[in-house]
Amino acid sequence: MKMPPFRVLSPKSLDEALHMSRDLSDSGEAFDWIAGGTDLLPNYKWHINVKSHVISLSSIPELRKLSGNHIGAMVSINDLAEDAVTHPVLAKAANSVASVLIRKSGTVGGNICLDTRCYWVNQSETWRESIDWCYKCDCGTGADCRVIPNQNTLCVATYQADLAPVLMCLDATIHLASPAGTRSLPLCEFFELDGMTRNVLESGELVTHITIPEDSAEWSGDYQKLRQRDSWDFPEAGVAVLWKGISSSGPESLRVATTGLESIPSLHLEETKEALSRWRGAETIEDLAESIRKAVKPVQNTWFSPSYRRKMVKVLTKRACRDLLVS
Amino acid sequence: MTEKGGSEEQAKNDEEIIGYRQQPGKIPFSRPGSGGKNRFSEATDSELIPSSQGGSLKQPWGPHKHDEIVSGRVIGKPTALVDSSWKVTGQAHYGDDVRLPGELIGRIVRSPHHYAKILSVDCSKALELQGVVAVATGADAKNRFGVLPVTKDEHAMAVEKVRHAGDLVACVAAVDESTAREAERLIEVEYEILDSIHDMRKGLENSEEPIHDRGNYHIGESNIQKRVFQEFGDISGMAQSSIASHKKSWLFAGVNHGFTEPHAVVANWDPSGRLTLYTPQQVPHYLHRALADVLEIPMHQINVHRTFVGGGFGGKSDPFPHEMCAAILARKSGRPVRITFDREEVYWVNRGRHPSRIEMNLHADEQGRICGIETDALIDGGAFASFGHVTTYYNGVLHTAPYEIGAFHYTGARVWTNKPASGAMRGHGAVNSRCAVEVGLDDLAEDLHVDPITLRLANLLPPHSATITGFRVTSIGMRECLERVKIESGWEKKFRNLPLGKGIGIGCGFFISGSGLPIHWDPNKFPHATVHLKVDMDGGVTVHTGAADIGQGSDTVVAQSVAEVLGLPLDMIRVKSRDSDTSPVDLGSYSSRVTFMNANATISAAIQIRDKLLDATVEITGADRSGLVIGDRRIFLKDDPAVGVSYLEALHKAQEDRGALVSSGAYRTPPMGKTHKGAAAGLAPAYSFSAYVAEVTVDVETGQTKVDKVWAAHDCGKALNPLAVKGQIIGSCHMGMGQVLSEEMRYGRNGNLMNPDLLDYKIPSVHEMPEVVPIIVESNDPEGPFGAKEAGEGPLLPILPAVCNAVYDAVGVRTSELPMTPEKVFKMIEKRCRTEGVSDPTDLECPSLEYSDLQSILEKRGDEHRLRDKERRLDEERKDYYNGALFGLDPSVPPDEVDPRWEVRVAPDEEYLTSPRLAGSAWKHIERRHLEGTK
Repeated sequence: MKMPPFRVLSPKSLDEALHMSRDLSDSGEAFDWIAGGTDLLPNYKWHINVKSHVISLSSIPELRKLSGNHIGAMVSINDLAEDAVTHPVLAKAANSVASVLIRKSGTVGGNICLDTRCYWVNQSETWRESIDWCYKCDCGTGADCRVIPNQNTLCVATYQADLAPVLMCLDATIHLASPAGTRSLPLCEFFELDGMTRNVLESGELVTHITIPEDSAEWSGDYQKLRQRDSWDFPEAGVAVLWKGISSSGPESLRVATTGLESIPSLHLEETKEALSRWRGAETIEDLAESIRKAVKPVQNTWFSPSYRRKMVKVLTKRACRDLLVS
Repeated sequence: MTEKGGSEEQAKNDEEIIGYRQQPGKIPFSRPGSGGKNRFSEATDSELIPSSQGGSLKQPWGPHKHDEIVSGRVIGKPTALVDSSWKVTGQAHYGDDVRLPGELIGRIVRSPHHYAKILSVDCSKALELQGVVAVATGADAKNRFGVLPVTKDEHAMAVEKVRHAGDLVACVAAVDESTAREAERLIEVEYEILDSIHDMRKGLENSEEPIHDRGNYHIGESNIQKRVFQEFGDISGMAQSSIASHKKSWLFAGVNHGFTEPHAVVANWDPSGRLTLYTPQQVPHYLHRALADVLEIPMHQINVHRTFVGGGFGGKSDPFPHEMCAAILARKSGRPVRITFDREEVYWVNRGRHPSRIEMNLHADEQGRICGIETDALIDGGAFASFGHVTTYYNGVLHTAPYEIGAFHYTGARVWTNKPASGAMRGHGAVNSRCAVEVGLDDLAEDLHVDPITLRLANLLPPHSATITGFRVTSIGMRECLERVKIESGWEKKFRNLPLGKGIGIGCGFFISGSGLPIHWDPNKFPHATVHLKVDMDGGVTVHTGAADIGQGSDTVVAQSVAEVLGLPLDMIRVKSRDSDTSPVDLGSYSSRVTFMNANATISAAIQIRDKLLDATVEITGADRSGLVIGDRRIFLKDDPAVGVSYLEALHKAQEDRGALVSSGAYRTPPMGKTHKGAAAGLAPAYSFSAYVAEVTVDVETGQTKVDKVWAAHDCGKALNPLAVKGQIIGSCHMGMGQVLSEEMRYGRNGNLMNPDLLDYKIPSVHEMPEVVPIIVESNDPEGPFGAKEAGEGPLLPILPAVCNAVYDAVGVRTSELPMTPEKVFKMIEKRCRTEGVSDPTDLECPSLEYSDLQSILEKRGDEHRLRDKERRLDEERKDYYNGALFGLDPSVPPDEVDPRWEVRVAPDEEYLTSPRLAGSAWKHIERRHLEGTK
């Protein structure tokens, strides 16, 4: 399988990268940022949204910084998983990504910005032609969504990355840079519907790093992931639960976030607020898990069926809360 | 030479030959030397010579005809495959590694539609593109081909109609891949879309536009490609004597072989007008024939060169349209053409295991005998026939053993649908129905309140018997397989005693060791396998064989056989098995035939060389020929090892006045079996047997199943290379686990294959792989080479039912659908919870077992049969034993001769047709030729 030809630019600093991005935009050329390439290149091989240029971020040292509260976008998922300073729940999620080979190439920034996936789009060009294309990759045909037909306004491709829910529960902040300047925002505000928009990144903008609040060490919790195989597979559902300040009347704070179920990951604020308002231990966890199940709306575009994934969200939430009861 | 000196020299010798690229001139042969990398023969100690040479060996399974030629060199010893250095150092050249000067890259234009008429193909724009050298369409090759001569229904490229999304329409050759891909898009095809069929049940009905037209032989106006009706034994008595029955309707998803190397081919026409086709093929000979048909040139103008094969498993055992395309493009362009598939093209050409709907009914009588098996199998053939004619029979006949059964009723049908074609895959036709039978037996045992292993042990056919369908079975190691896994797995303690979520299950298998009838049987007495040997003065033996090494180690087994008979080290044997120009015809690597047939042919060729060497030794030494034995590169008197000559001395003597020694050995199956229609399907010169116990953990809240450990006993007759046999057993477990737990060719609601890639087609990863304990049982087959039978396919069968049965033991649910993904297991657990009014699945109860009186009856019968079996295998004067004896018939007479109720029936009667089963309803149609006769 051959990728269409494209030009690779390799800036040595963030400034140079942003210059290049501006130059390309000015001359009307489309481009993609490329980090580890484990998501982008397979899509290129399938001729999905191919651009004429890619700007590689691999030679920019400032994007590689990793400390307890600062994770550079170009830190590899494997380094994140194995570093002693990484929050244990984040390390667990990182360790569950794909396979060790992919974790060594794949980066944190790439994982956060992972393209959404769908049975009807992650296919070869010949295959997509045989279904007359789809909304996400219509190739100029104005094709309809194949998952939920007869609606031409929403792409329901699924966001299947593992790191986001844990980082959202840790209340991480994401830092972006573009030729126009830099900005920072809470990670949960970074994602934006639909499956094509995915996030708030503007053209020419990129993720530089993520910061985690100083109190992250006080938070404990778990990440639970549903998939067919213990390697390679994207999450069919992922649930992160983090809490701090545990006492007999329940945790002081509790956060639950899910991934692999919709076009963006979700932080479930209302459900946890409800749970904390009248804490009754195991019973509350059961109710919380049920409310999370009700809150997610997966569609039929991955390996497992939506109904199974929803049921499993409940099981995974309960399992992620297991230590909440023990302690 | 002193012993010490010897070992030092030996060490030096070993040192000098280390390194994967052997440097010419550095290998230390002493002159005249004894040949081989090690310049010293092993001591001529008669202790090292098996006592069978020049005598006979008393063995637990009786003597074997090859005992007297065993030199004790390599047979039965774990041996690295002879081509392993090529592979592990990356120097093996697979299909896509072939590079010829001036090559063009070929690409195939495929149909985006499931079923459509081709109105026009316009290649003009593609031809105008710079760098495009040739294009071809269906009009360039109108002759049909197919692996089976009775069902040739394929074209190089579609003529008139495309039959599935991905079907070949045209092809193009260009100077590089980018240009070829661009040209592919410039070929304009106009289609008229037809109504496509995706549900195999629809294939049974009449259709306005059947996918193929077989003329007078077409079955009604349906899409039925093949139908089978078979009844053996006392069908009428079955229902009366049955006290327990099992009935289940199964749905098996189609699975693909998932080999590593995608299909690739290079075609080149040389200046003398001959075609050489380089391809990773399992059946080069059948391809050779098909090429001649399609290209309309004589076979002698074609050389099929088999490259290294990166995995086959049946998926490279058809002549393929892309192979024709490469040859056609190369002929048109006058340049070599290379075509390599993307992974989704592999799925589109498929030939994987048939999606199937199987209804399995089993009956047991009050003595715990299996008084009836009723099977109905509808199999989804996809767009082409491939091996399907045979698969339709195999789904029935291959589960009539290892048990003695009172009656067997089988209806099978294979239909065409608008999907990628199904074909032969490891365990061809036997896997799905075997799973259904073994799960059924587990269920029957539960009903009868007996142990499922005891039930099996009390119903086994004895060695040297005939199955209900008339298959002649020689060696049977089934009982030993069952007994070994029972003991080693700790079955007695674990079965029905493990906590919720933990379970253990049993499954058995039975498979052919070489198809008794070759696919092309003209001329009638053509051998199945032929091997040529050439030994020149250098002492090395060149073996010419057409057997296709697909990674299973056929080159190794051939080299081992020669080395064993001639007492030579393996490095003196060089196997030339690649070119049809130099290799004698071998039918190919399918039906687990290679070791059995090819090694037998090799042994017979090697014996001829051995005879010449012994004659020469007698001439030199004057020793008594009957006392001579062969050791490591030395021929000597067994009783007086000092009297003897080196191998090279004998060889040079034998070469006097005639030069290189040559010989030719061949193998053909003996006449066997019954004469009813379809009697040849499933006939084999020997059969393999296996029994596996699997231990699993099921997460009752998610339905996730993890196989923890497998005890896998396989009767391969004699493990010529135990390392390879264990590899086959472990590999089979992996492949079968994929089918039972996660692998599935999943079709979307519009009929498209949703997962034609290795991320979404879920082959188990290393994390899913359990510990496998391979247990080799050696039943010493009388006709197998050194006693060997197959080990390549049979070991796959038992893992599926063993896992299904273990899941039942763990959570009390029985699947009727494969793969049983977590989702399906969870659904069954939910259903059980609802039925039993349990809200939390962790509160479910495990199945339990309390023995009924039948248990002791079965145990007693099993014990008696153990003695019966032992006597039969050692008794050379043994009488015949036909299936039916357990039901009171005279064991030495075919049952249909003593009891008319046991007559074979191969067509349904009117009464059956009033309410046929699913596949049986195929018989409601009348073949067109009979229809016309009635008009």
